[in-house]
Amino acid sequence: MKRLFLFLALCAPIFAADPQESDFYKITTFETPKETALEVGSIELLPDGKLIMGTRRGEIWIVSGAGSSDASNVSYKLFASGLHEVLGIAYNPKDKNIYATTRYEITRLKDVDGDGRADIFDNFCDQWGVSGDYHEYAIGSRFDKAGDLWVTLCLTGSFNSSAEFRGWALRIKPDGKMVPTCSGIRSPGGLGFDADGEAYYCDNQGPWHGSCTLQHLVPGSFQGHPGGNIWYDKAPNMGPRPIDPLPEAFQGDRKRGDKTPHVDTDRMVTERERIKQLLPPAVYLVHGKIGNSASAIICDLSGGKFGPFSKQLFVADQSHSNLSRVFLETINGIKQGVVIPFRSGFASGLIGGRMDEEGRVFVGGSDRGWGARGGKPFCFEKCEWTGKTPFEVHEMRAKPDGFELTFTQPVDTTTAGDVKSYSMREFTYAYREEYGGDEVSEIIPKITAAKVAADGKSVRLTISPLTKGHIHELHLDGVKNAEGQALLHKVGYYTLNEIPTK
Amino acid sequence: MIRTLLALIFAATTLRAAETAVFSLKTMTAQMKYDIPELLVQPGQPVQLTFENGDDLPHNLVFCQPGTETAAMAMKQMENAEAALKRNWLPDDPRIWAHSKMLNPHEKETLTFTAPEKTGTYPYVCTFPGHALTMRGELKVMKAGEGLKDLHFALYLGNWKQMPDFSKLKPHREGKVDSNLIEVKLDDYKNEFGVVFTGKLNAPKKGPYRFFISSDDGSRLLIDGKEVVSYDGIHPAGDIKEKSIPLEQGEHEFRLEYFQGGGNIDLYAAWKGSDFQITPLSKWLHPNWKGGAKKQKEFDPIPLAVTTEPVIYRNFIQGAGNRGIGVGYPGGINLAWSAESMNLALIWRGAFIDASKHWNSRGGGHQPPLGYDVLQPTGEVTPAFFVTDKPDAAWPTWDKTKRYDGFAWKGYALDAKRSSTFRYSWHDAEIEESFTVEGNGNKPDGNAKLSRTVKVSGKLPANAWYRIASGQFESKDGSFLIKGVKPFLITSAGAQIAGANLVIPATPGTMTITYQWAQ
Repeated sequence: MKRLFLFLALCAPIFAADPQESDFYKITTFETPKETALEVGSIELLPDGKLIMGTRRGEIWIVSGAGSSDASNVSYKLFASGLHEVLGIAYNPKDKNIYATTRYEITRLKDVDGDGRADIFDNFCDQWGVSGDYHEYAIGSRFDKAGDLWVTLCLTGSFNSSAEFRGWALRIKPDGKMVPTCSGIRSPGGLGFDADGEAYYCDNQGPWHGSCTLQHLVPGSFQGHPGGNIWYDKAPNMGPRPIDPLPEAFQGDRKRGDKTPHVDTDRMVTERERIKQLLPPAVYLVHGKIGNSASAIICDLSGGKFGPFSKQLFVADQSHSNLSRVFLETINGIKQGVVIPFRSGFASGLIGGRMDEEGRVFVGGSDRGWGARGGKPFCFEKCEWTGKTPFEVHEMRAKPDGFELTFTQPVDTTTAGDVKSYSMREFTYAYREEYGGDEVSEIIPKITAAKVAADGKSVRLTISPLTKGHIHELHLDGVKNAEGQALLHKVGYYTLNEIPTK
Repeated sequence: MIRTLLALIFAATTLRAAETAVFSLKTMTAQMKYDIPELLVQPGQPVQLTFENGDDLPHNLVFCQPGTETAAMAMKQMENAEAALKRNWLPDDPRIWAHSKMLNPHEKETLTFTAPEKTGTYPYVCTFPGHALTMRGELKVMKAGEGLKDLHFALYLGNWKQMPDFSKLKPHREGKVDSNLIEVKLDDYKNEFGVVFTGKLNAPKKGPYRFFISSDDGSRLLIDGKEVVSYDGIHPAGDIKEKSIPLEQGEHEFRLEYFQGGGNIDLYAAWKGSDFQITPLSKWLHPNWKGGAKKQKEFDPIPLAVTTEPVIYRNFIQGAGNRGIGVGYPGGINLAWSAESMNLALIWRGAFIDASKHWNSRGGGHQPPLGYDVLQPTGEVTPAFFVTDKPDAAWPTWDKTKRYDGFAWKGYALDAKRSSTFRYSWHDAEIEESFTVEGNGNKPDGNAKLSRTVKVSGKLPANAWYRIASGQFESKDGSFLIKGVKPFLITSAGAQIAGANLVIPATPGTMTITYQWAQ
């Protein structure tokens, strides 16, 4: 028997299937109402276990039974229609109303006569501009712990802001008052909160963004794209307008699309020194590897019902139709951390997402306008933990001379303690006006030590050099767990904004 | 002798194929498509293709061998995304035989290459991740058909509105066309003439053949004395008329009749067989054939059906600014409200609106009403309320960079019949506007009517006026007729003409206005 097992193990790649993502996290695809294209743009929880979803076609649906283990129990009721793209939806437990973020307005919807359909559509806030350009999406949040709503406003096109506060993050206070909160937004894809209630958004690859990013919305900060900074005079609470990054990009005879002359010197890490309001992305969602079009941000607050990644963030992607996992830490007051692939294979481009208290992740979206790997034009799906724990990097923390890794399962001390089981590559992106960008300034550091902790659940890597501002791409191809299994995902991308001193 | 003949055929073939096929292909803005889904070339033909990225994402143009599953090929790059990224998302695949660079938004590149010698359908695609499913097309390599032989012309003089019977007329001049390509020489007659072209056309085998003609003015094509297709009358060469007929193998009599009244002169003819592509028989090429390219179709319409209750559509509606709220009422009467000017922006009858512009691709741009007889009562995004001591003054006009001072949008409520009441404030006044419809907007019987009720409470500024409509008015039986292509009848107690404005002195209380399509 043992012989046979050994034989099987040796032939594992041929005969026994390697662990798959689907062994640990299963995706359920729901049937959707026949009368519409349910292009889910936003999802929120209602107190009675129901969901409420806003769509790109401007409808709001109340969904019952999506939590049931039998997907055929799902049912839909149209709550409202005719809104201008619902890319944010929030339930307010205080007034029991629904708040829908649309192109130019947050609408407060009430069902006064109790027939299950909204009949009052109040303007809660419409104090930002809109020009008719397709790019000017408005992505809204649910309520934060202070009772505020957040909105991120896409620029007019990729470069400019031709309507008020396009390229900004705003907070809307409970009385409907708008507070300009962060500048520097380019093309937001989603807005969410971490376990502490801090707000984040995803931006998309383009000018000033070599890659999609997860960014921390610190009030008063400049998030990197200067196109919307013309509105500082309308936001006195924000203080003075930041100096422009790379002023040469806006001067002289250069036209859009011309090569930036000093491409190798244009860096977020150096511009941070010059522009005091500039906040670097917390995590680069490395272009083409993690995704191409980052969207919803979902925090696991289920207390273990979604598996071992409690309080971590899950970031959806429209183009790749996947979820990636982010672990964040705060170093020198700045958020940074690692992104690791998590689950691919959703049916369409993901846009909206929300986890319920039972650890069920509801996601949905459409491939419209940009295309998506999923292949379906739109979808509404559920992702659940099967109860089996995958062997994964659990956390990756920066240390003064390397990284500390924790794992979801005890590691095999031999492989995990061998520096040859790891490889690392460091790179960054140019911070410049041109669209997107290559991975530049590559450094291959030395991994000089890999020390396994006594409990077998963490490894301390010593790396030389660490490079401030670079993405540290770690491959763990040789690391095995105590059962000899390789990691389900063998790569992580850590954005090292700051190197800790201890 | 044989040697000479061979050389001649060879020269003729190369001459045709050696003519460079010139194409211009663009990525469409925000649609994840090329503007041309099909290109036609001859085997071995030189191609000059200008590829322009009109979108604001990066795109390339990659030509592959027949049968290549392009989406799978593009997707396969993800297996080693890092290497793919280094290659700028150009797959390392031997089936690729021509490609552009990865173009950034609004960049352009001219590709020159030689079309494959082997006939077939060669897919082209953007290999940037996620784009290949929709951004694709086909390059069809097919040999050209034979041209006309022994082509003669007969010129007739006359002033016709319809094709004359040329057999009963005497030619003014006759001759041979050495190029064997149909062309209208412009050196002697520019107006009021006709030409009959006759020649021989060889069908390489028995089977169906499709003929195409277009002309300015009339034309008619006959094969073996029988009419195949006709484009008679005085008209520009806008359409291409085409028809397929069966032909036996061998030589056939070709006859193309043409007449010119006045103005532009155009004449095009072409044919296509089962194993050769559209082959021009005329010297000129119709713009829609140029380079053998077919233009991409627009979206299929998504008309929003209004059945038992009003339907609301908030989006970019042409004529209603950027904060438009469309309402389609049962019975074919529709309006658009502006949540920017707090005013009725448009009224129309018939079908409500087509959502396809906004529900395809990325959803930008302004969509006009789908119905007809559209009235824009007071110009785009102008408010109804205004303080002035001269009500014939010009009302404020839309400054796209600003919101109107003193106005605040409050929202709308739906009643039991799902009819909307719009609410807003103006300085210290609260205003509610609601609408009811009467008659059938789908019938042009003059009874379709929209009634607007304006309730004003609170305090209004002095010299406040409410403008109902602008334009040229005349009083008619206690109503006002607004002149225009389609006249409207407007009725409201207290309304008065003040220059180009139809106004009511604004006071707290209720105003009622009806807008009616006049017969």
